[in-house]
Amino acid sequence: MKKQEVQGVKKTPLYDIHIKLGARMVEFAGFYMPVQYESIIKEHKTVRSNAGVFDITHMGEFLFEGRDVISFLQYIMINDLNLLEPSKGQYSIMCYENGTVVDDLVYYEETPERFRMIVNASNREKDLEWLNDHIGNQDVKITNLSDERCRLAFQGPNADQLFRPLVDVDLSKINRFYFADCNLNKTPIFIARTGYTGEKGFEISFENKYAEKIWNDLTNTGASPIGLGARDSLRLEACYSLYGHEISDSITPIEAGLNWLAKPKEGIDYIGKEILLNQKSKGTERIIVGLNLIERGIIRENYKIFKDGQEIGYVTSGGYSPTLDKTIGLGLVQSQYSEVGTELEIEIRGKLLKGIIVPIPFYRNV
Amino acid sequence: MDYKFPDNLKYTSSHEWVKIEEDIATVGITDYAQHQLGDIVFIQLPDLGTSVEKETSIGEIESVKAVGDLIMPLSGEIIEINEKLADNPELINSSPFEEGWILKVKFSNYDEVNSLLSVTKYKELVQSEEK
Repeated sequence: MKKQEVQGVKKTPLYDIHIKLGARMVEFAGFYMPVQYESIIKEHKTVRSNAGVFDITHMGEFLFEGRDVISFLQYIMINDLNLLEPSKGQYSIMCYENGTVVDDLVYYEETPERFRMIVNASNREKDLEWLNDHIGNQDVKITNLSDERCRLAFQGPNADQLFRPLVDVDLSKINRFYFADCNLNKTPIFIARTGYTGEKGFEISFENKYAEKIWNDLTNTGASPIGLGARDSLRLEACYSLYGHEISDSITPIEAGLNWLAKPKEGIDYIGKEILLNQKSKGTERIIVGLNLIERGIIRENYKIFKDGQEIGYVTSGGYSPTLDKTIGLGLVQSQYSEVGTELEIEIRGKLLKGIIVPIPFYRNV
Repeated sequence: MDYKFPDNLKYTSSHEWVKIEEDIATVGITDYAQHQLGDIVFIQLPDLGTSVEKETSIGEIESVKAVGDLIMPLSGEIIEINEKLADNPELINSSPFEEGWILKVKFSNYDEVNSLLSVTKYKELVQSEEK
């Protein structure tokens, strides 16, 4: 679709390629991004059966340097950096004092004095401000690499097999959440075994000038371009939290079921620690659950959830699962109604349809 | 984008197509509409025999990314629905004007037929929405 370009909306270095491929472009987090190339269902199934290439350049990339990087991040992050080592990454969350979420992200320890961090597209500016505001007199320097580097994900059961011939590193030595610096057909890249699809695969980052070459190298392997539509349906099946949905500045990680992330970190203070550990031991009034419909229909974000006529929560994410061929969703409900097997009603455009709480994730193959 | 616009059909501004055969109207959504919705995964339709006024919503078409209303193009009684769509809603994507027809209406007010859009008018409408 030809829509007029809006001023101030950015393009990734792969914009022209997406257009050439016939992608339907949408504005997302300040970028023109491909929502689908041909069909969300087809792209989704390709990632579950072969491999796909995603442009995720809209996400933020920061570099941290300095003697105090680890102690600085220990205070900001709820996960424990003592579990890290050089060449390893870690998923974490940074919280406000009240335990709600600033952002979820992944950081990678290159050396104890040099970290790389990847954050959500929609939170780039906010995160940078939040991080900088907490440096004080510590020896920490943050460089925003977001606009000078390009980020791609390469995901699917065949990701290893297709990627192996391209790189000069032994992929079998890179375990989940580990990373390496290597060359992809002689082009220097950062490669991590991480992802957001519930499949095996990698996320890579490199200088903008290599964008077209690397995109072509990756799609020439037989992997297909995948848009944001399938990225969302894949992560929903895998039940990975999405900022603004399952976690936000009004939902804590414990309410989102991410108890394992909030570490005790004895002797180390961190923002939100007291509330999070308290919620972890005593439980929360609300909790994220998995949802299916018993009747036919599609569950969507913000639909209200009822139990015996009383409103008990709302859908945080919902949609159609191409893998399971049925509707799936996540909802934030009052904890007393959160047991698997609980029947409830979901209001879909004025009608109450029968739903049920089911175990999650819906699908993962990692 | 090149969309199909069969010229033996009438159209609505809400992107339904209507095929008139005596007092029976077959209704579906246009090629442009199915492109806009993307992969269709579910369709909710009224019961047979329901009488509905023109321009009211009579069904919901759910795609992976969005939900659209099916708007009644003519007042009348629903006498047939495409049973195949219950299990194969993607027929609306693959064959919007043939296998993906949605329902048939028995209508009596011929004046309403005259207020439907011609193929030329409908093409103009789509072109203006595309800009």
